[in-house]
Amino acid sequence: ATLKISHIRPQGAIVDLELKDFAANVDKATEGDVKVKIFAASALGDYTTVQERISVGAVDMAVQPAATAASRQMQITYFPYVAANWEQAKVAYGPGGAIYEAMKGLYAKQDITMLAAYPVYFGGVALNTDAVSPGNPNVDKGIKVRVPGIKSFQLTSDSLGYISSPIPFSEAFTAVQTGVVDGVIGSGAEGYYASFRDVTKTYIPVNTHFEAWYMLINSETLADMDADDREALIKAAKEFEAKRWERAESDQSDYEQKLAEYGATIVKLSDDELAAAAKKVRAEVWPKILDDIGAEWGQGVLDQIAN
Amino acid sequence: MIEVALMAVAVLVILLTLGVPLPYCFGGGLMVMYFMGDVVMKGNMLWGFQQLGNPVLLAIPLFVLAGTIMSVSGIAASLLRFVNIFVGHLRGGLGVVATISCALIGAISGSGLTGVAAIGPLLIPEMEKQGYPREYATALIANASLLGLLIPPSVTMIVYGWVTDTSILACFLATLGPGLLIMANFSVVNVWLARKFPLKLEDRPKGEEFVAEVTQRGFKATPALLMPVIILGGIYGGIMTPTEAAAVAVIYAIPVGFLIYKGLDWKTFLGAGKEASTSVGAIMVMILFSMILSQMFVLESIPQAIVESIFAITDNKVVLLILINVLLFLVGMVVNDVTAIILIAPLLLPLMEAIGISPVQFAAIMGVNTAMGGVTPPYASILYLGARIGKVKVTKVIRPAMILILTGYLPVVFLTSFWSDLSLYLPRVFGY
Amino acid sequence: MNRFASLLLTGLICLVALGQFVQVITRYVLEVPVMGLEESLLYPTLWLYMLGAVNASRENTHIRANVLEIFLKTPKQHVVLAIVAEVVSLVVGCWLTYWAWRFTKYSWRVWKESPTLYIPTFYVDIALVVGMVLMMIYTAYHLVQHVRSLFDEESQS
Ligand code: NA
Ligand code: NA
Repeated sequence: ATLKISHIRPQGAIVDLELKDFAANVDKATEGDVKVKIFAASALGDYTTVQERISVGAVDMAVQPAATAASRQMQITYFPYVAANWEQAKVAYGPGGAIYEAMKGLYAKQDITMLAAYPVYFGGVALNTDAVSPGNPNVDKGIKVRVPGIKSFQLTSDSLGYISSPIPFSEAFTAVQTGVVDGVIGSGAEGYYASFRDVTKTYIPVNTHFEAWYMLINSETLADMDADDREALIKAAKEFEAKRWERAESDQSDYEQKLAEYGATIVKLSDDELAAAAKKVRAEVWPKILDDIGAEWGQGVLDQIAN
Repeated sequence: MIEVALMAVAVLVILLTLGVPLPYCFGGGLMVMYFMGDVVMKGNMLWGFQQLGNPVLLAIPLFVLAGTIMSVSGIAASLLRFVNIFVGHLRGGLGVVATISCALIGAISGSGLTGVAAIGPLLIPEMEKQGYPREYATALIANASLLGLLIPPSVTMIVYGWVTDTSILACFLATLGPGLLIMANFSVVNVWLARKFPLKLEDRPKGEEFVAEVTQRGFKATPALLMPVIILGGIYGGIMTPTEAAAVAVIYAIPVGFLIYKGLDWKTFLGAGKEASTSVGAIMVMILFSMILSQMFVLESIPQAIVESIFAITDNKVVLLILINVLLFLVGMVVNDVTAIILIAPLLLPLMEAIGISPVQFAAIMGVNTAMGGVTPPYASILYLGARIGKVKVTKVIRPAMILILTGYLPVVFLTSFWSDLSLYLPRVFGY
Repeated sequence: MNRFASLLLTGLICLVALGQFVQVITRYVLEVPVMGLEESLLYPTLWLYMLGAVNASRENTHIRANVLEIFLKTPKQHVVLAIVAEVVSLVVGCWLTYWAWRFTKYSWRVWKESPTLYIPTFYVDIALVVGMVLMMIYTAYHLVQHVRSLFDEESQS
């Protein structure tokens, strides 16, 4: 069988190369029974559409962020400041972690099997101006930033003292260039380098959220595979996941480095400053999102991480 | 699978020829893919309908409405009267004004549809009044509308920069030269063709009379002249995005049309709203099914298959460049512009670099070709929107459109491929 | 009917324009952008697209590239061609409507919500099937008119 797999980055991006390895491993392990065909750059639609297409079985697989339209609870993956560093991130998002298991269960309800979590980066703020009190979330910065249409990003951005402006992604680059907004929030060094490096003067790794993507497959497609092939695919997915956890942190600093080489100033924050931002955002944003997704369930997941 | 795809395109063309409305022509192509090619249809409506929600498309209804209101309210006429003091005595002057207006709109919008949406309802009737054939005016504005993809900003270049990891600003600058050249081509060709049109030219006022006319018409046109100022100033002043500017144009035009120029009353206003909405609806439903069809081609990897067969033919640089332009022309005939870039650019770029074409120059080559795709049938979304707005038959518009493609685009396609400075000079000046 | 169509379509398109306008004012003048405006505007926008297309069907002004028409001489030939085109439109359109209907059922089952205001997206998704069904009704109506005019002509000659 040939499995069509979608991802959201261009050809040659890290995830693309890792998926090529994955495809080769699957091919080898199944002795050519299962081919994985990669569709890069959202050629099959943006991640929200692709998740639905996987759910109905029109696309087989994807590695991408979670779309929350069909399940508010999936916003748990976007919770700001759930993790403060890579160790904590692995506890929450790594195999067996609280968010990992929660997401797996939520995907299952959409006829999607989550094969792996794919850590990408901690989010930050990219500005086309100089930073204003970047380490103090209590200062109103008077800086407008583009936020994606995801509630927790909008609230986080406000909480950090920025003026969040919802502008469609397709217009974001020009909006920053002409000054409709002064920067962007909701992505990390890698994402900003790919799409916004020409308009990034300052990058502040304030660790807004932990970006995790998920490797998904239509549950029926998986069930219909021959047992050996299925085992091989699941095993290859595990390897894909493990390899990513090893490299994610250094990839993140590589991209910060690349942004710096391209002319951006990287504003490193101290541990105290990061902790202050985390404290404020948790206090202001968490209750609102918890309300939306069911406080008891959401708090349960967060408590699990804390322990 | 390529055979089925070709069959789908053949059926599409046959239905087109029979006079089936365009959305169903693409639907017919879909049926071929589904029944003969065994492609899943499940999830495709979902995909297509979500594509229609793309914010890039949202500027279209707003600009069409703004253009229609300007046309019926007398705003356009007073603007034209003012412009005519300077060009009214020149044969072909108004066509040049239309071309340059499209380029200006292109400088604020990133899509190829905006020019025809905004300038079409405004200038097609005026050009006809002056004696241009309606189908020619429509073809000219549709062709010039694609300057929106070449004069920055441009959606296609943003996507190209992203998929090929090239600086987006460098890509913007790369298409600017070819874009301006195409604009110049259209202007010259227009003046040449205008010799034969039965144009009613104005006498050029002289001396004091000229000054008096400028003052008088300029005064009357001031509220209308403020409109482009608000739009351009708003966007480049960092106040609004192009889509929002379209909305601001509408909100500004309504009271100005009702109260100052008085051409707008409830009846004409409702007529304009209905007219604009209907044009937009007709084009959107066509875009919906054409996008689903091109998505089916994507799922079946048709573009890759075509590219691979080209690789096999030759390694001569000149022949390869010509073949690649032919390929891009063919792709532009059936796939919408952004999809074409996502699929083709990463496939071709390694080959281009091997024969010494830089990613920035290739951005210009892809940019010019995909822009031209907007007016090449069977999938000629911009031309069709023009025909709908200009209220002319598609069959009539195709001939003048072909003349403009041959004289306006093709020489520039050729130059962009073989004269690297055309696309690389500006990026170099700015340090890319 | 014509007045109703005008009012409805003008209302929708002005609503969309107004929404975008408010976006500018709140962001630039008041510096407190409205969250969720973007996603709410999707509802009138997609209804506008579909109902605009329905109106094109009603007025029979969809875009056509009628190449064959140029070669036909008699009015009767034109009517026959129009009938062929409408029949094809009906067949293809009904097939598309079937898939639009399946999409609607899917949307009903999954019951998605918009990202910040949690407005059910079903209310926008259903525009597709509603639009398609109305387009088919008008297409059938035009087909009947063409067939009638064909018979009228024959009875006259
Ligand atoms: Na442009
Ligand atoms: Na085309």
